[in-house]
Amino acid sequence: MNTFVKSIKSLGSPKTAIIGMVALGVGSVMSYGNPESVSAWYLAGPLAFLAVSLLVAITTNSRIYRRGGLLVFHVGLLSIAVLAAVGRLTFFEAHVEMLEGNVFGVEDTLNVKKGPLHSDDLHHIEFVQGRYTVEYHPGMVRGLTHSYVRVKGDDGSWQDKVVGDDRPLVIDGYRFYTSFNKGFAPVLTWKGIDGSSMQGAVHMPSYPLFEHKQENDWTTPTGETVRLWLRMDTGLDEKNAWILNEKTPESTLVVFVGDSRIELRPGETAAVGGGDLTYDHLATWMGYKIFYDPTLHALFGASMLSVLGLFIHFRRKFSLQPLRAADPVGGRVPVADDPRPTTGRVV
Amino acid sequence: MMDGHATELPWLWAGLAAYALATFAAFRSVQVAHARSAGAMAVRGQENAVLTLLVVGVALLTISLAERWIRIGHGPFVNLFELIVSQLFSLGLVYVVAYWRFPVLRPTSVVVLPILWVLGLWVLVLEPTAVPNPPTYFNNWKWAHVGFGKFFLAFCLIGTGFAGIVLLRRVKRLAPYLRVLPDDDVLDNHAWRFMLLALVFESLMLIAGAVWAQDAWGRYWAWDPLETSAFINWLALGMALHIRFTYRVPTLWSSAAIVGLFVFAFFTYFGFPFYSEAAHKGVV
Ligand code: HEM
Repeated sequence: MNTFVKSIKSLGSPKTAIIGMVALGVGSVMSYGNPESVSAWYLAGPLAFLAVSLLVAITTNSRIYRRGGLLVFHVGLLSIAVLAAVGRLTFFEAHVEMLEGNVFGVEDTLNVKKGPLHSDDLHHIEFVQGRYTVEYHPGMVRGLTHSYVRVKGDDGSWQDKVVGDDRPLVIDGYRFYTSFNKGFAPVLTWKGIDGSSMQGAVHMPSYPLFEHKQENDWTTPTGETVRLWLRMDTGLDEKNAWILNEKTPESTLVVFVGDSRIELRPGETAAVGGGDLTYDHLATWMGYKIFYDPTLHALFGASMLSVLGLFIHFRRKFSLQPLRAADPVGGRVPVADDPRPTTGRVV
Repeated sequence: MMDGHATELPWLWAGLAAYALATFAAFRSVQVAHARSAGAMAVRGQENAVLTLLVVGVALLTISLAERWIRIGHGPFVNLFELIVSQLFSLGLVYVVAYWRFPVLRPTSVVVLPILWVLGLWVLVLEPTAVPNPPTYFNNWKWAHVGFGKFFLAFCLIGTGFAGIVLLRRVKRLAPYLRVLPDDDVLDNHAWRFMLLALVFESLMLIAGAVWAQDAWGRYWAWDPLETSAFINWLALGMALHIRFTYRVPTLWSSAAIVGLFVFAFFTYFGFPFYSEAAHKGVV
């Protein structure tokens, strides 16, 4: 065998595999907790190395390709490595805060992270946010979320769906999960002296996480910045179970303009910064996590196939040498299909 | 402070007492096997005692788990107390079935049962506080993930039982008691077979966990403490199997590696939840 073939083959040797596994182990330790400072190469490097090593082993090492179970297992491992890489190149992750009654728009997405080959198909997604309920157990422990949405199907019809933390809304492979991040938003109408009118909502910080900081700044169309504080009267006792929904608070909107302070109840209007500001009503907003990875199902299939291969390999070993046959106390028992290097000691 | 309504506790204590008696009977069986005058019948008698006591122990722990489940309205998945009781139950159950079906592994009880007792002692100092299910724990993949994990740890424990005997034989005072068992090579081979089976179930546990994580937290893998530890454990097991068939590893080292892998798995299970008080707390 010439040296070139030999060195290619050695790439697929179990010794090389051990080196690759040690490197992957180091990469995993470094990736613990997903620190931003650690390059993705700490994982991608060892995985690429292992993938090449596996490919060579599968094609050149008869101890793998002659044994069905082991072959399926190692091919499965190779597929997982390749799919994980494709997944990293094409994934998409983001957050979005959806106001009750509003339609999803790509431009509202925040903290977007995506792979270089992601094909940005979010434009087709159409759904409208409805109300939600979040169960709380005694002691402010969050339970199930039910977020009601209306989704536009391919045929143009609208369908009602319920989304939760672990029941994503899946549209074209994009998965929307509700999150702890949700809250209230006063809906305001502004009427300028010139007759112009606009309606909008100001998202208050996440509730009940920032219960005591329900405030935000808003700049009027005339350029004046006002501070809005949502004074909540929930009558909540943290020791009891309760349900968060749009009915939870009795609210008063406190508007700070310069030195003055104005209190508005829903439906009330006040003159603010060259116009009339009406506090229409209190709406809710829900924060979603968006996740897209086109390889999810294939990854699942490849992993299950791998385990099946490993199990077949195990069965074969077991049937060659059942444990029960090794019963005789004190006896030297022949050990069939022992893959270890023969030492003369083990038959 | 003791929770006054924890009606499951007497059943738990009774179950632990049965495990303790089984441990005692296990030591007796090895002692009887060692006494040259004793016949095979005497050994079988002791082994039957171990078997019966373990069955009783598992039954009592089942009642304890059921009682608590009904009392607090959810299964033993959330805090460390629940995790340990449920492992005491499942490790005991898998072990007792293996003990009954494969007489060859019966002597491993002198290693396995004391390990169960470490968990038993630990649970005695924990409070049986009830914590509600986090919102992500209503997913059905939880069952698969937890179930596969239980088999993984149980097979790892059996492997450790064999490896433990190989190691205990190195202790001069104990060696004579363990002499009648098969050679180290044979025990080592049995041990690794269970470790291979453990790898099958650990892989399934990771897959089911990833599917659950995708549903629960919107990502299938994020290198959280438990995920990282479980993955490294999986990799280390695969690596150990590779090293074993690539190099001539002396049985002493091979057995030590198994014990090491078990200890690693033990900390993955009970170490991280111990520090965070709820499995995967970082993302709840
Ligand atoms: C990356 C490159 C890899 C190569 C080149 C490779 C190569 C091999 C070879 C040649 C065998 C057959 C051993 C024999 O019986 O002679 C084998 C078996 C095996 N491999 Fe791999 N492998 C790789 C990765 C992995 C990984 C990542 C794992 C799992 C963590 C793994 C787990 C196993 C298992 C469980 C066996 C069966 C061991 C036994 O029967 O005791 N391999 N591998």
